[in-house]
Amino acid sequence: MTTMAGFAPQIPFSYPAPVEREIAQLAALFAQTPALAVYPARWLAIQVLEGDEALLAEIEAHGGSAVVAALNDSLERLRAVYGDELDIVMVDQRYRFVHEVATRAVTRPATPPATLSDRIDRIVTHRWFGIPIFLAVMWVVFKLTTDVAAPFVDWLDSVVSGPLSRGVSALLGMVGAGGGWFESLLIDGVIAGVGGVLAFVPVLLSLYFALALLEDSGYMARAAFVMDRVMRLFGLHGKSFLPMIVGFGCSVPAIYATRTLDSRRDRILTGLLVPFMSCSARLPVYVLIAMIFFPAYAGQVIFGLYLTGIVVAVGVGALARRTLFGRQPPTPFVLELPPYRLPTLRHIWRQMWERTAAFVRKAGTVILATSVVVWLLLAIPARGDGQFAATPVDQSAFATLAHAVAPVFAPLGFGNWESSGALVTGLIAKEVVVGTLTQVYVGEDAVAEPAAPPSLGEDVVAIVTGFGAAIGDALRALPGIIGINLSAVEAEPVADELATAIQAGLAASSNGHATAAALALLVFVLLYTPCVATLAASRHEFGLRWMLTSLLGQFAIAWLAALIVFQGGCMIGM
Amino acid sequence: MLYQILEILEQAEQPLSLAELSQRLQIEPSALEGMIAFWVRKGRLRDTAVLGCGGGGAGCTCHAYPQGCPFRSAGPRMITLID
Repeated sequence: MTTMAGFAPQIPFSYPAPVEREIAQLAALFAQTPALAVYPARWLAIQVLEGDEALLAEIEAHGGSAVVAALNDSLERLRAVYGDELDIVMVDQRYRFVHEVATRAVTRPATPPATLSDRIDRIVTHRWFGIPIFLAVMWVVFKLTTDVAAPFVDWLDSVVSGPLSRGVSALLGMVGAGGGWFESLLIDGVIAGVGGVLAFVPVLLSLYFALALLEDSGYMARAAFVMDRVMRLFGLHGKSFLPMIVGFGCSVPAIYATRTLDSRRDRILTGLLVPFMSCSARLPVYVLIAMIFFPAYAGQVIFGLYLTGIVVAVGVGALARRTLFGRQPPTPFVLELPPYRLPTLRHIWRQMWERTAAFVRKAGTVILATSVVVWLLLAIPARGDGQFAATPVDQSAFATLAHAVAPVFAPLGFGNWESSGALVTGLIAKEVVVGTLTQVYVGEDAVAEPAAPPSLGEDVVAIVTGFGAAIGDALRALPGIIGINLSAVEAEPVADELATAIQAGLAASSNGHATAAALALLVFVLLYTPCVATLAASRHEFGLRWMLTSLLGQFAIAWLAALIVFQGGCMIGM
Repeated sequence: MLYQILEILEQAEQPLSLAELSQRLQIEPSALEGMIAFWVRKGRLRDTAVLGCGGGGAGCTCHAYPQGCPFRSAGPRMITLID
């Protein structure tokens, strides 16, 4: 080995004596073998003793029988001393040498100077402050996703239900395809269903912006570090929180992320808990319902839902650990806490774009297909004397099917067929709940069209001015995240047709306790059976039995929680 | 030295940061990375940076995201002991 002049005598490097003996013998042999002369002899001996398979194969092919026999003898003798850990002994010896050199050559302070990240971490990962800081961060995220994104949701919704629907209708009229079932399919099926969901893209953009900011700044790792303590309090593995963090985005990769856990039992338990973490697909439902029933506290309500998801996951996990899964000592782990850094706009944009694009792709496939099926069921008359695509929605096949499942939800306050049907379609994908509600209520209100629709020019002006107004409202809402209210007026309930219809529907199904029913509906959406993609991932990873446990168990937990919320809400006069 | 990493992990009662581990071993973080990579190759440690969420690293795909998982970077890097 080459060392600096004058340095080698002080810190000579050598492997343990038995290894050095074999290296010397093999090196001498290799040096005399012309086929192996291309390699430095000592280096080659070290590599083959460490088990380099490519070089071993080359020696076997070109070294000759004497060399191969000598090599096997050497390995045999060393195995007798070190077992299967010869390579570990050799690598370890090199690390010891490097460490010794570094220790002698580099002078370090006894206590390394604290970096800015260290100083921030003293507060952010503090035993007592860590959790409140984590909750405060979550609070800001959900205020951002509701207050700042809401004006853009309203704007997009008005564009979809107004100019876009009118434009498509006019175009169909021009080509002679207006007024029939095809127009109904496009307007009441595709635009109402898919457009109703896509109107919530600003909410998801806000959430993905916040998630990217937290990931890129380095805070996400701290959140897992802090939550480890909470998980341990309840006998759970802190490692389980990592897949759960992924679950805030989507439950499917979160289920696959359980592969990072050690034992199958931990993987299954975490896989059962992951869907309780509120995925981004549920956010449009929360925003829709919260903005209708709790306009002044929408952010707080959504924050409460996310928190409820964590509490239920930890509670169910603690219970399962004490019963089904037995208590196992938590195994420690190393977590990379990267230095805090200023997130780059480019990276944040890329994250937002990738995730939102995945959502839009889903809208173009799963949500579109479901919307068409729902439209078809709404178009088929099951009662009365209506015709295909011209039947009142409450006499449609969808309404008849939804009526059949509605009694299950009646004790929870949302046993009307519209909500029940929407929840069933939500099993396909959670966002579909919004799409179905829009389709069902748009269908009910289809007759209430204005006599003289605005012209194209008026529509364009309305779109542009509406967007400008949304930007203004969003900017005014920004200080509200930290409690400064710049708006002269308080937030008012959403007053469009969909909102009015949902309010009336829940008021009727809950005997006038619409607010309690809305809260119960939100809790149910948070906790109930995961979507089919998550169930498929669950089956793939844990088998049919555990997939069914997730399907039925979560439904039962959601039903019970919603019952408690609704009945409790009624008791306190909500 | 290599075995010390495993010993510290076995004896730890709470999660450690890489910086803490590097301080306890009195070695540079870059050297520690090499040692961790060695144990990962030997199958004694599991590193999520190598595994990715679904075991496929940056190109991880699944039935829900056939064109690549947009949530792959959501979780922080974690290194665990394999029993």
